[in-house]
This record gives sequence, structure tokens and C-alpha cells, in this order.
Amino acid sequence: MDVLSPSPHTLILNDLQPMHWALAGAAIGLITLCLLFVANRRLGISTGFDDLCSFVLRRPYFRRGAVVLGRTWRLPFLAGLVLGGVLSAALGGGWALTWDAGMLDTVFALGAGAKLLWMFAGGLLIGFGTRLAGGCTSGHGIFGLSNAEGSGVVTTLAFMAGGVLTTQLIYRVFAG
Amino acid sequence: MLYLILGTLFGFALSRSGAGDYDMIQGMFLFERFQLYGIIGVAILVTAPGLRLLKRRGRSLLGRPLEFESKPRHRGNIVGGLLFGIGWSITGMCPGPILVNIGEGKLYAFAALLGALIGAGAFGTLYSRLERVFTLPPLVKGTGDG
Repeated sequence: MDVLSPSPHTLILNDLQPMHWALAGAAIGLITLCLLFVANRRLGISTGFDDLCSFVLRRPYFRRGAVVLGRTWRLPFLAGLVLGGVLSAALGGGWALTWDAGMLDTVFALGAGAKLLWMFAGGLLIGFGTRLAGGCTSGHGIFGLSNAEGSGVVTTLAFMAGGVLTTQLIYRVFAG
Repeated sequence: MLYLILGTLFGFALSRSGAGDYDMIQGMFLFERFQLYGIIGVAILVTAPGLRLLKRRGRSLLGRPLEFESKPRHRGNIVGGLLFGIGWSITGMCPGPILVNIGEGKLYAFAALLGALIGAGAFGTLYSRLERVFTLPPLVKGTGDG
């Protein structure tokens, strides 16, 4: 079956051939289980934004247990995500600073300043939205759906709908 | 150290799978690329049965009772999810890949991180006002998840 074959598209990162999706999915699932079984932690990445904010903000929201107790493991985990990106680039054709954003560049040809503003605006929505929803693709999507949680189903449907609508508007209507 | 290693493996997988790739994300939302649906689907197919087994066992590797809570349902799930989805489409990144892309050397990912931190900071600062509107759970201070 065609859908079972590896991705025909290469990555923006050094034009690498991506991992097979089944291998990547299995790896992500196993790491999620490992985090729970070995360390007794529920996978969740966007709470890390609260952890980082809690160093400068003192509101009660940033002093709640999930943040105070979670920082000690989540911050090293987040640092690992950055390191994983470094290693992936370094071992896959070399690490270099880049502005390359694929089809965003080919369709809109944004300058550096405009691209930073674009990404900043999207980031605001990610930060506010994930905290309002109580989680992101990892906590609600992967863990929440695996645990058959109602909040995970609702949130995942909502962020998929938001993403599909926005991308369709940008690339089929506006740039279509 | 364990968390740094697990995070690094997770980050490497996100990076090489295309989960942090702007074009892969747009391709997913355009229904033109199957890669990300396959990844999320397989990740759940692996995690769900493993989670059932772990819950039945009820204990972690070190014999401690498994401690995790289900996430509560509230109005913020839908509104927050929609806002996050729009941001995911705009940047081509969800929270994990923002950090992975910074590691890869993609300069624009720093702007997404700054935005996300300010967005999360604004939410936390406004929490007491948003709490009733979105029927959010009360804050649990000290211990516990939430």
C-alpha cells in the first residue's frame, strides 16, 4: 500500500530523508512509556512554558504544584529536546544557523524581520492556547488519547481543526 | 540525567521524523502528507496498550505507586485547542519542536519560543479572571499535578 511507504518528501534540515513514520511513532511511544515506567512522570511539554515563566513571574498560577514539583524533571527534559535537535543536525550533514522555513519562504518570501514577527505571533497563540487547553500535542494528544481521556479527545480535535482551517486559509485561499 | 537522555532521544526523533518541519506540518494540515498522521497514530498504538499494562501493574520500575492524573475537561479545552492549532499552523511547530528547531539552528524558532513564553505568562497572570469564564480547575498549590 502506498500510504505504508516512507515519506517521499525530504526535511528542510539538510534535505535529509525523514525516519519512517512507523519507526518514529514507535520511538515516541516507547519514550512516553519509559518516562512513566522508569520515572513515574506523565509526558507533557507545554507545562514547561510555565516552568520557564515561573523564574520571573510570581502569580499563584506559577507557584502551583505541577510547576514547583515538575521543574526539576521537565527542565532537563526540555534541555534534552534542544540537544536532540543539535545532535540530529550535527550527525546529519552538519549543524548551521539557518532561516530556511521551506514553503513559507517560497510562497511569501518574508524578510528576517517579518518572519520573526510571524513566528512570534504564532508563538503567542501556542503559549496562551496550550495553557488554556491544559496541554499540547504531547500531553493531550499522545498521552491523553492513549489514556482515553475526554479532555484529550476534545482538545486534539480542537487543535487539529484550528491547524487545518488556518493552513487551508493561508495556502489554498490567500496564496491559492 | 535520565530526563536529559530521554529528552534528547525524544528531540532527535521529533527532529528526524519531520514533526518540527514547517513543510511537513503544512502538508499534514493540507492533507497532502501522511507522515505526521502515521507518527501520531503509531505513537498512540504503542502507548495505549503499554499504559494499560502499566496501570494494571500499578507500580513504577522502582516499585513506587504510579502517580499521574487525568487532565480535566473544561471550556478551555476547545478554545485553547483552537488557538493553539492556529499557532501550530502559523509557526509549523508545536511546543516540543520549538525547542528542537532551536537546537537544529533554525533562528526563527527563537521568536516562536519568546512568543510562547509571553503567551503562557499572560495566561497565568490572567488566570483568576479566566478561571470562571472557562470553568478552569482551581489551582492546587504545593503538591500534585494540575
